[in-house]
Amino acid sequence: MKNPYYPIETLVEDIITETPTIKTFCLTPSRPIKFKAGQFMQLTVPGHGEAPFTPSSNPSVTEKMEITILRTGKVTDALHALKPGAEVGLRGPFGKGYPMDKMEGKEVLVVGGGVGLAPLRSLIYALLENPKKYKRVSIKYGARVPEELCFRRLYEEWAKAAPNVDFTVTIDVPAPNWTGRVGLVTTLLDGLDINLEDSIAVSCGPEIMLKFVTLKLLEVGYKPPQIYLSMNRKMSCGMGKCGRCNVGHYYLCVDGPDMCYDKIKNVQNVFG
Amino acid sequence: MHFIDSTNFERFLKKLSTGGELFVPVRRAETGKLHLERIELFPLPDDLALDGYRTVEPLKGFAQLLRYPVADYPSTEGDDISDGNAFPNVVIAGARGCDLAAMQLVDKVQVEGEFTDPFYAMRRDRMLVIGADCSECGETCFCTLLGAKPWPEKGHDIAVSKVQGGCLVEAGTERGEKAIKENKELFAEAREAQITMRDEIRAKVVKDLDEKNKAYPRADGMTEIIRGALNDEIWDAISSRCVECGACTNICPTCYCFLLYDQKTDRSHFQRIFAWDSCQVTGYARMAGMLNPRPRLSDRVKHRFYHKYDYLPLSHGAIYCTGCGRCIDTCSASIDMRDSFRRIKDEAGGKKKA
Repeated sequence: MKNPYYPIETLVEDIITETPTIKTFCLTPSRPIKFKAGQFMQLTVPGHGEAPFTPSSNPSVTEKMEITILRTGKVTDALHALKPGAEVGLRGPFGKGYPMDKMEGKEVLVVGGGVGLAPLRSLIYALLENPKKYKRVSIKYGARVPEELCFRRLYEEWAKAAPNVDFTVTIDVPAPNWTGRVGLVTTLLDGLDINLEDSIAVSCGPEIMLKFVTLKLLEVGYKPPQIYLSMNRKMSCGMGKCGRCNVGHYYLCVDGPDMCYDKIKNVQNVFG
Repeated sequence: MHFIDSTNFERFLKKLSTGGELFVPVRRAETGKLHLERIELFPLPDDLALDGYRTVEPLKGFAQLLRYPVADYPSTEGDDISDGNAFPNVVIAGARGCDLAAMQLVDKVQVEGEFTDPFYAMRRDRMLVIGADCSECGETCFCTLLGAKPWPEKGHDIAVSKVQGGCLVEAGTERGEKAIKENKELFAEAREAQITMRDEIRAKVVKDLDEKNKAYPRADGMTEIIRGALNDEIWDAISSRCVECGACTNICPTCYCFLLYDQKTDRSHFQRIFAWDSCQVTGYARMAGMLNPRPRLSDRVKHRFYHKYDYLPLSHGAIYCTGCGRCIDTCSASIDMRDSFRRIKDEAGGKKKA
C-alpha cells in the first residue's frame, strides 16, 4: 500500500529569481512525476509543512519540474530562503487540470495577472506544443509594475511561436522606461478581436483580478460555461478528504483547481 | 433471530475481543450518561449499558484518531506502507443507530472515491461493531427527524436488542454472521414473546422521539429550504451567541475534516501529523496573505449547516447528520440545530407569503 501523505524526496537543482518576490524552483524529484497542465502539487519544505502550487513547467517533461512561487506566507518564506542543493518533497499531482480537450479547435484566450502567469505557463507550453490544434491562442498578461512581470525572458518566444499565437502585456501604472501598455489587465479585454462564440477563456491571478476579469469577460459577451478560473482556497490533503478547499459543494483539490465559472457562479463569496 | 443470555453475551464479547481491544458503553453514576470505556478485565462491569441512548463519544475516533503521525520523512521505505498489521482488532459493543450510520458516512469520504486514506482503512477493517437498540431518547436526540430509527438499521456487524434476561441478536454483515456461527453454542432461538417485547420498546422510543421533537421541522427536508435564497441575517442571528470553540464539529460523529502539519523529530528527520480540525475557527480556511473565504463567524456557522445539509448531499449523496444531538448537548451557547431549522423554515415560509 502507498502512503499518500508521504512527500517524495526532491532536489532543488536551481533557483531563478523572477521578480523581487517571485522565484522559480527547478526541481528533480527522485522519481518522474507525470502531470497535466493545471494539476497541482503539494510542495513540502521539510519541517515547515506543505503548500499547494501548480507547476509552471512543460507538462511533457516528467523528470524535472519547475514551480514558480510568490513569497507570501509561512511555507513560501521558508522556500525563498532555500539554496540550490536543498531537499524538498512533492506529493501529487492533484486535481483535474485545464480542460485541454474543450480548447481544441477553439480560440483560446489566456488571461494572467502577477504570479498567476506561473500555472498558465504550463498551459501555454501545452498549447504551443501543437498550436495548429487551436484556432488561436491569445495571451494577455498584466502585473502591477515592470519589476513584477514574471518570465520576461519568454515573452518574445511565445509571441512568435506560431502565426495564430499572440502575447500582450500591460502594467497597472506608468513607470519610467516603460514604453508598453499601461492599464489593468482587464483593459486588454476591451475591443477583443476574438470570435467569442468559438472561444474558451482561461484566467489565473489574485482573487480580486479574477473577479474583475470574469465581470469583464461577461461584459464583452462570454458565457459562464466558456470561462475557466484558477480558484484559490486553502488546501491540505489534496484528495478531497480534509474538507477545507470547498467552493460550494466542489472541492478544488479534486474538482479544480480550475473551475468552470458556470459551476460556481452562484456560490456566495466565490471570489473571497 | 437469536437470543443470548447475559452470561453468554459476556462470553461472546470475551471471545470476540481475544487478542484485541473491547469497548462498551458504561453508565456514569453522577451524570447518568453513557461513555465508551475500554474493558481489559472480565467480568464486565455492572454498569455496562446496552439500553439508554447513544454514548457521549462518537465512533469516528476509532478509525480517524484525534491526532496521529501519517508520515516520517525522509525514510528508506519511501511511500510504501509495510507495517499494515500495527493496528489492533477492536470490538465496539453497544453502538446506536445514529453512530452506525455516521460511521458509514465517514467511510464514504475516507475510503471511497479515487483516494483512500490507508490508515483509516486499516483501522476500519479491524473494527467489529455491535449495534444496540435505544431504550429511551435523550433530550437532544432527533434521528427520527431525519427519517432514521433509534435502532441499528445499517452499518453494524451484529445488532443486539436488550430484552428480559439477555439480548436478541441479528447479524448485519458476513463477518457478524461468521462470529455468531462460530459461537453458536452461546445462542438460542429467539421466542415470539421476546420479539414482541423488543418491538414494544422500539415503538415507545419512536413515540417519545416524535413527542420530544414535535415543535421542530423535518431535518431531512431542510436541504431544499437552505438552498433557497436566504439572506445572511438569519445566520447572523443563529450564530450570535457562538463562541467559536469548535466543540460541535469535534463531537459530531460525521465531521471528518482534518489538517496536516509537519514537525521536526531531529535535525534531519520530520514527521507529518494528521489532526482533527474545525471549520468553525477563524484560521481554518485562511490562506497565505490573510485571504479568508469565510472571515465572519456567521459565515462559518452557516458553512457547518451547508456542508452537512447541502454540499455533502451533492458530492457524497447523503445528509451528513444523523440526529444524534451531540452538537446541541455540547454547545456552550445553547445553539440547537433543531431550533435553528425551525427559525430558518419560519423565515423561508414568511418570505414566500410576502
